[in-house]
This record gives sequence, C-alpha cells and structure tokens, in this order.
Amino acid sequence: MTEDTRPAEPAEPGNSGSVQSGSVQSGSVQSGSVQSGSVQSGSVGVPGRRAFLLGGLGAGAAGAVAGVAGGYAYRATRPTSAGQVALDNAAAGLLPPVPFHGKYQAGILPAPQRQTAVIAFNATADGHAGLVDLFRAITTRARFLTAGGTPPPTGIGAPPSDSGVLGPTVVPDGLTVTLGVGSTLFDDRYGLAGRRPAGLTPMLPFPDDDLDPAQTGGDLILQLSAGNTDTVMHALRDIAKHTRGGMQATWRIDGFASPARPAGTVPRNMLGFMDGISNPDVTDRAEMDTLVWVQPDTAGEPAWTAGGSYFVVRLIRMLVEFWDRVDIFEQENMIGRRRATGFPLDANSIFATPAYALDPTGEAVPLNAHIRLANPRTPQTASSRILRRGYNYDRGLDQVGDLDVGLVFTCFQQDIKRQFEAVQTRLIGEPLADYISPFGGGYFLALPGVADGSDYLGRAMLA
Amino acid sequence: MRRAALTAALALSAGLLAACSGNGPPANLISVSNGGCGGSWHLAHPGWYTFQVYNAAGESGEVDLVDPANGAIYAEVEGLGPGTSSPMSLDVGSGSYAFRCLFDDFDPITGPTVVVAGHAPGSPAILPVTSNDLYGPAKQYHAYVAAGLNTLVSHVDALAAEIRAGQLGPARTAWLAAHLTYERLGAAYDAFGDFDQEIDGRPDGLAGGVNSSRWTGFYRLEYGLWHGQGAAALATVAATLDDNVRALRASWPSTEINLLDIGLRTHEILENALQFQLSGHDDYGSGTTLATVQANITGTQELLTVLRPLLTGRYAGLPAVDTWLDRLNTLLGQARGPGGQWTPAARLSPASREQIDAACGQALEELAPIAAITEPRIT
Repeated sequence: MTEDTRPAEPAEPGNSGSVQSGSVQSGSVQSGSVQSGSVQSGSVGVPGRRAFLLGGLGAGAAGAVAGVAGGYAYRATRPTSAGQVALDNAAAGLLPPVPFHGKYQAGILPAPQRQTAVIAFNATADGHAGLVDLFRAITTRARFLTAGGTPPPTGIGAPPSDSGVLGPTVVPDGLTVTLGVGSTLFDDRYGLAGRRPAGLTPMLPFPDDDLDPAQTGGDLILQLSAGNTDTVMHALRDIAKHTRGGMQATWRIDGFASPARPAGTVPRNMLGFMDGISNPDVTDRAEMDTLVWVQPDTAGEPAWTAGGSYFVVRLIRMLVEFWDRVDIFEQENMIGRRRATGFPLDANSIFATPAYALDPTGEAVPLNAHIRLANPRTPQTASSRILRRGYNYDRGLDQVGDLDVGLVFTCFQQDIKRQFEAVQTRLIGEPLADYISPFGGGYFLALPGVADGSDYLGRAMLA
Repeated sequence: MRRAALTAALALSAGLLAACSGNGPPANLISVSNGGCGGSWHLAHPGWYTFQVYNAAGESGEVDLVDPANGAIYAEVEGLGPGTSSPMSLDVGSGSYAFRCLFDDFDPITGPTVVVAGHAPGSPAILPVTSNDLYGPAKQYHAYVAAGLNTLVSHVDALAAEIRAGQLGPARTAWLAAHLTYERLGAAYDAFGDFDQEIDGRPDGLAGGVNSSRWTGFYRLEYGLWHGQGAAALATVAATLDDNVRALRASWPSTEINLLDIGLRTHEILENALQFQLSGHDDYGSGTTLATVQANITGTQELLTVLRPLLTGRYAGLPAVDTWLDRLNTLLGQARGPGGQWTPAARLSPASREQIDAACGQALEELAPIAAITEPRIT
C-alpha cells in the first residue's frame, strides 16, 4: 500500500459539515481589515507583564469593521479542523483502523486524536543484531495493534498473550504508532555513527527553557495516539512487553486533545486559547513535500532518511494559576488572538490570515504577540512553518499545590534548524514566556514508513 | 494470521441442549458432563476456533483438548462450574484432537477423536506435567534448601558473635554474607511461611516503620548496622535472628514443598527482586540490593536446574531464559565498583540502570511461561 491509498485526514477541504449548525458567517471581513471591537475603543493600554507588550490595543485603528453581531464566524476560507471529525467519532465510539503500511508513518499527518502518549526510550539491545530485533518487534506489534484482531491463544504453555485491557478482541480505535530516533542512537554502540541524520542533534535549551535532563532526549521516541485512553495504554503495555530487553523507557507523558468548544472551532489549550489554528495543509502534497517530509537526495542527508520527518517534542508546563490572574486583554495581546473566538486580533474569523503588512507597528496584533512572532506570514518565513500537533497534559500537582498542566507540543518538519529552531528563536523573550516553562522533550527523526508486511521500521537505517 | 470463521458444527443431543438457555446453544458449543465429553463434533479445516465449553454436569470439572495419541494438551478450561460455559480458543493445525473431561470421583473421559489432515501449523500441544513428575524436582530443591540452611545458620552464628563482641565493622561484612545466603534459597512469597517475615521482613505495614519494636530480622539488623545503632541494642535483634534461622532449619525436614510453587517461584523470585531490590526499596543502609539480586538469580537457577528435565521438550524458550539470566548476572557484576564494592541501586548510572532493568524485565518475560507449563495437571 502506498501513501496514495492512505487517507490523510478524514475531512476534505471545504467540508463544512463540522461547522456548528446555526453559526453565523460574518462574511463581512475583508482581507486586510483591522478589527477594532468596541470593547477596545478608548481602552487604556494595559502594561505588559515585563513591558514587552509593545503593541497598541487597537484603539484608534482605522477602518473599523462591522462587528460580528450576535454570533461567531467560526471559519472563513479554511475548513474547521479536520480532526474534529475524528474527535467526534472517538467520542461517539470506536474509530476505524488507520492503515499501518505506507511510504510515510501513518501517525504524522492526521490531526490529534483524543488521547496520546509520548514515551522516550533508551536502547538496551545487545549489539546491532539486537537492535534489528527491537525494530522488528516494534513493527510487528504496531502492525497488529493498529489493525486490531484476536490475540493468539497460548494454550497451557504461557500466560495470556494479551493484557485483555481491550477485551478479547483488540479494537484498532484509530491507533497510530509513530517511532522516531534520537541523535544518541548514533553513537558507537550500534555502529550507526555514519548514518546519523544530518539535521539530528540533541535539543539544547533555549533561553526561556528549564530542561530537566531526566525528561529530555532519548535514543527512541514512541508516540501512541488513539480515540481512547485504554487503547493507548493497551498498546504501550503490549509494545513494552515485547521489547523489554531491547529498550528501556526513560520518560513518558500522556496528552489529550480537547473537543472543540464551541463545536466547529478548534480545540483549546490549557491557557483557554485555541491551539493549532494555523497549520500547513496536510492534504496539499506539495506543501508536505516542502515542509514535512525529508526528500530523497537532500544534501548531506543519508539516503535512508527520505520519507522521514523531523519530530520535535517539547514538554511545556503552563502556569495556569498565574495566567488566570491576567487581564483578558493582556492575555489576548500576548497570544494575538481573541480567547473566545480564536480570531486573530485584526480579523473576524478563525482562519483569516493576519494582515501584518497593514499593521506594521502592531496596533492590532502586537509585534511580540505569540502568533506574530511564530509565523510572521512573510515570504521569507514561509519555509519555517511547521506541522504542529499539540496535546494538553495533566500531571496532577506541583510542589506548591498548583496544577501541573500544560502542553505536549509536538511538531513535524523537514529541517529542525530551518523550521522549529527558527520559530523558537523568534519566540525568545516573548511576553508569553513568563507563563510557560518548557521542561523536557527532544529532537528526533520520525522514521520513514513501513512499505509492506515484510518491511520494518528503520530497515534502511539498519541495513 | 488465519482467522477462520467459527465453523465447528456440532451435533448435540436434545438433552444437552435443554440444559442451556431457552435461546439454544451457540453453534460451536461443546457440552461436557461426567457421562460424556464433547459428544460428536468435527473440525471443518485448520484455523482459529473458539469453542464454548459448557458443563452440563452437576459439579465442577476440567476440560482439556488433547492429542489422544499422547495426552498432550492443546487448550484447557479449568474449574468449569456446573451449568456454566467458558470459551476455549486455539489455532487448529493438522493433527488429532479430542476433548477430555475430568470430574472428581469419575475416571477421566476422552471423547471422540477428530483428525485434521494435511500439514497446517497450529497451536502446539504440550505434554502435561503431573504431580508425579514434580516429586523428584521437589526433593532436589528441598535438599538444596536444607544444605543452604546449614550454611545460613553458621553465617548467622558468626554475625551474632561479631555483634556480641561489639565488632560492628566485621559484623557488617558478616551480615552481607549471611543475608545473601538466605536470599540464595529462593525465598519468595512466604516460601518459608511465617519464618520469612521473622527472618527477612520489611518494616512496611508496621506502625512506626523502621522504629517499630516488632521489626526484626536481616533488614532490621542492616538498618541498625548502617545507622549507627549500638552493639548492645543490636545484640538482641541478632540473637532473635539466630533463633529464627535455627528454628527454620529444624522445621525444614518436615516442611513439604507445594508442587505448584516450584514453577511459580521461577519467576516470582525475580519479580520480588525487581520490585524490592532493583528499585532500592529494600536498601536499609548497606547499598547491597544488587548483590541480593545476584543471590536471587542463583536461587532461580537452582529451580531451573531441578525443573530442566521437565522443561526440555516442553519449553522452546528455555535457552533464552538462560541467556537473559546470565546477561543480568553479568551486568550486575559489572556495576560493582573498582574495589568490588556494591553500587547502591539508587546510584547506578542511568545507562547501567537501564541495561540492568531491561535484562531483568526480559528475563522475567522468558521465565513467565514456566509456571504455566509446570503446573501439576491430572492426566
């Protein structure tokens, strides 16, 4: 099976089926228009937490637009998150299997599923042959788990072959298994030093980071996503059971994608803002070839990396108690969007492209707003766009009794330096940095896909 | 993977059907009783089958699907209550199949044989291990423990003597030798009944924890020896330990080994080691839990030695068991310091810790089938 036969995302462009019934299309938003909601008119500038908020608040902005009376324009030209369809399916019951075989790993393009687990492992396999056994074992388990089926009976010769967590027959529940490799796998243990992907380095801390070495890096990264928590847990137990000697988990985080609230919008993060609104179009093959997939014959890259995708994981604590004590306008200026609607501060629909050229001093969208720094929407920065896949996490409490919640930020790209690192560098010192704390994660290369039943993850890397 | 439809057509007598619910039995129902075992049935072709085995008798029974030529078991349902049913699944390959029913107070009944022709692979049948088969291994293991208890008593005598003499430095050395001797016996899950709590008990579950006056045994001594407690206070603890190991030795000749336990212990010893030793939980000051794991490996290997004649031919994974236990043992040895001193589990380097945990986990996976294979069965 090739990627041509694998569905990318369940929804197609232009599908409006998931737009909330009865929502109002404002229709009046003009490209380049600047919103100046009446609530802002005449309001006094709110000082930034550290006086970083350079932008004005829209007061006095010219070209006031007719307000969106009585409702929201949830979408403009882009469809609502295709993932919403999957989210609805997951909430309603069981998702169909996601075909495992293909040119690319199947878990990269789909929108976030309801549940995910990201687990880093260090390889403990004995030598190169042991490492091959490990990658074969992961592949075999992933092939079964994503397809579902009845685990083999073991007769009187062994304990049950399956944990039984999903009942006697394993349901696929949309499970995807995504495997990546970290730079440390390419040391002298397995003879892979000459095969290290050119763009794969350790993740070094950015100035606003507070990385915990125990939750950073890893020889391998495994992401398991599915419609339900039990499906993810079952898959993790199964894979771990079959790979005990070959790899050892070093850190793990579980995440969840919230339903879009209101329906028809985009899921929110723990700051209350919609996250992942502006993403490359995964149905646009050319865009994926430009932004996501490592291309064949890329200068400096070993041939085996073609069809892979650089996979960045960032574990980002959100200081939500602090955040909740911040004025809404300051919040919105830090993000650059309206909290309630997800609209850019200069527009009247979620997917509108902010017109920064018409707002050079940041009167509508402050110059240091998160969305403006992350994606300045210029021709020069277009190639730094990344495919973001964010999940919320909830790990209980911290030492002072505050909630330990935040974001499992994952993104895929063709080149970490050109993309993630460029974006993250632009974000250094952003006002939002005071409310978040990146504490872990790592850089990985998601392996090329598994072509068929005789192929396995990492085959070309290990050949 | 073949996932054949459930096509086992079964002819069932009206009387058996009447025992089921009013809706009638599922098509693949196998009804058993103390008067008949499976009735007439057939297998259309190789593939996966799930039978619903229904007990029409008035008492609980066991149903096996066997190769009638040698009694090897493909699948079994144990403890099937009267009037209940249970699924029995297997991948049917070419071979001979018959149900065999075991009810108390009745001779085993073997039903008609069904032959699947050809050369299709399927779930393997395993020759059951009987109680008779296990007497020899149990006797050998009993003798191993008896010899070990003699060593243990002498080691604890020496330990107690050092403490009485106020020689706490030598006492620490003696403590480790004595404790490892005990851990080599393969004690796990009350193998020695109440003695284990007295000799090697943890303070967990005692009010006051490490300060509880009811805490006694090796770990209590370890805590005292490595936390600056005086010889006078510890002498009493040591004397109690000495009394207890002597009492255990005295009771051992009349102690019977539960035949079921021999197989269970093969993974339970290391399950305990993973939970309490590799985790560092049972480090009460000496930092020698990795030495304890090595001692536990020795105990496990002794069980494998006595069971090996039964496992050869029944368990294809036996070489992997040996490989991974050896690997774990080697890794533990490599983790010792340059002077041979033990590294506390909490101070292992991350790489060393991962290697050791991984090897222990894999060894446990490889060991797990042994308990199932060596469970004593009636034939």
